[in-house]
Amino acid sequence: MTRPSLIRRLSFGLASALFALMAAAPALAQFARRPFEVGGGEGGGGASGGLTGWLLAEQSQLTHVMVAQVKALHGDPAALWGLVGLGFAYGVFHAAGPGHGKAVIASYMMANDRALRRGVVLAFLAAMLQGLAAVALVGGAALIFNATAAQMNRAADLMALASYLGIIAIGAWLAWTKGRALVAALRALRRRRAAIAGGTLYEGAPWRAAPAANGATAFRAHAPGEEAIDPADCGHAHAVDAAALGQGFSWRAAAATVVAAGSRPCSGAILMLVFAFAQGLFAAGVAATFAMSLGTAVTTGALAWAAVFAKALAMRFAAGEDSRVALAARGVEFAAALLVLAFGLALLMGAQGAA
Amino acid sequence: MKRAGRRFAAAFAALAACLAATAALAHPHVWVTVRSQIAFSRDGKVASVAHDWVFDEMYSSFATQGLAEPGQLVTRDIFAPLAQENAGNLAQIGYFTTLKINGKSVDFGPVTDYWMEERPDHLVTFHVVLPLKSPVAPGRYFSLLVADPEYFIDFEFDDTDPIALVSAPAGCSASIAKPKPLEGEDPKTLSESFFTGLAPGMNFGFKMASRVIVACP
Repeated sequence: MTRPSLIRRLSFGLASALFALMAAAPALAQFARRPFEVGGGEGGGGASGGLTGWLLAEQSQLTHVMVAQVKALHGDPAALWGLVGLGFAYGVFHAAGPGHGKAVIASYMMANDRALRRGVVLAFLAAMLQGLAAVALVGGAALIFNATAAQMNRAADLMALASYLGIIAIGAWLAWTKGRALVAALRALRRRRAAIAGGTLYEGAPWRAAPAANGATAFRAHAPGEEAIDPADCGHAHAVDAAALGQGFSWRAAAATVVAAGSRPCSGAILMLVFAFAQGLFAAGVAATFAMSLGTAVTTGALAWAAVFAKALAMRFAAGEDSRVALAARGVEFAAALLVLAFGLALLMGAQGAA
Repeated sequence: MKRAGRRFAAAFAALAACLAATAALAHPHVWVTVRSQIAFSRDGKVASVAHDWVFDEMYSSFATQGLAEPGQLVTRDIFAPLAQENAGNLAQIGYFTTLKINGKSVDFGPVTDYWMEERPDHLVTFHVVLPLKSPVAPGRYFSLLVADPEYFIDFEFDDTDPIALVSAPAGCSASIAKPKPLEGEDPKTLSESFFTGLAPGMNFGFKMASRVIVACP
């Protein structure tokens, strides 16, 4: 039997994820330090690389132009529009980088929801919160306390730590609920298959009596008279249908995701804000930061859209027997839940271990 | 059913690619202009590498934030704790410096000579001297690379005064080799990395870096 072993494998995966989390816990006390770092690091498990060399060059260029634009503000207030436009473009490009919570949001959406607008709203809120986190950090630290870079780094580390732990918690919670749903779907399918195969319900009955299990398009082709055979099967086996896939969405959980994904300020925004502050143009830095957030929201929103769309597409093509669709949906959701957990762990470990 | 399965797989692959694309893209946040000095011992061996790194305006204002009275420059004394911390962290990751002699990366000994300061133009300079654990004969040629493999920091050699040789054997000369433009295999690697979700090589920063080539007779 392959199915019980699948369940065993799933629980093994979950157990090892939890084990990894526990193993990481003692190391939480302190983030690894890189020389000349800014903020809570860039996250992403220390991964490096690029989409294209062009993209890299483009972003560097944007940063340099933004610096020039901030300085241009001294003589020409209209330069603010240019700065805001650049900030937006920077956000769009930059959001493709690690640590912006997009992957978290996208996986979360995949694990939870099919409603497109909600995904985009979540992405937008997370991006805005991230901008707000940077403004609060630099505004509070530099403006009020005249804090140093080292102090701001420490504060950013704490925010990042909270964010990563939040992501891990959400991932674990999702994996737990989605894992249980998956197991339930597996059971439903097995029960149904057993019913179809004339298991205990139809002991001794000829196999052809079974296809009456109703509601499944793939099994529609049967004689009308056979339909009445299994009233007992109706109640449980096909309790989950495709229309219910979007259930389980709670705004409270979504808010937790937004906070976890967005509470870590990003280095680019911190640098921009401190630089603008040093130039005596903090307000312009704030404007640029929120323009960046908006740009980030576009990329993240696109990703959330892709996640929801891909899941819907996958569900559509897995169409057939209802309980199979349900199983596929639960499988995708569980995988996405594990992904959220993995992202959280990767971010945390990336922050811990420099080497 | 088979067709449906294949489409299911395709949809999933597309999604995986989307997620993967986001997983790994670092780009520079800090820019450094590098001037280096390679010093030779009396018997003509490579003895040390001294760096002067000048940081960009953004990082400079970040590093100097809150450290000096308004209108004052941040002195080496004020910067001492930060310089010490940075030097310590640099030691753990090999100082972003790869000195290859005879095809082998040499090891650096403990660093004692380092400081940071804010220049009158408000840019921050970090100075550090890296002594070789034991001096090595230069051979026919050797190379010096300064790069952050994670590419958070973009190191560029200074245009006018990138490298100096101190008490080098007669006839030694240094030149800068610019990074090859991303041609040939690299775009392929990058687009592959887009689809596989693997970083195009953990040392992407190395590819973007210039290196100093020193040739000795």
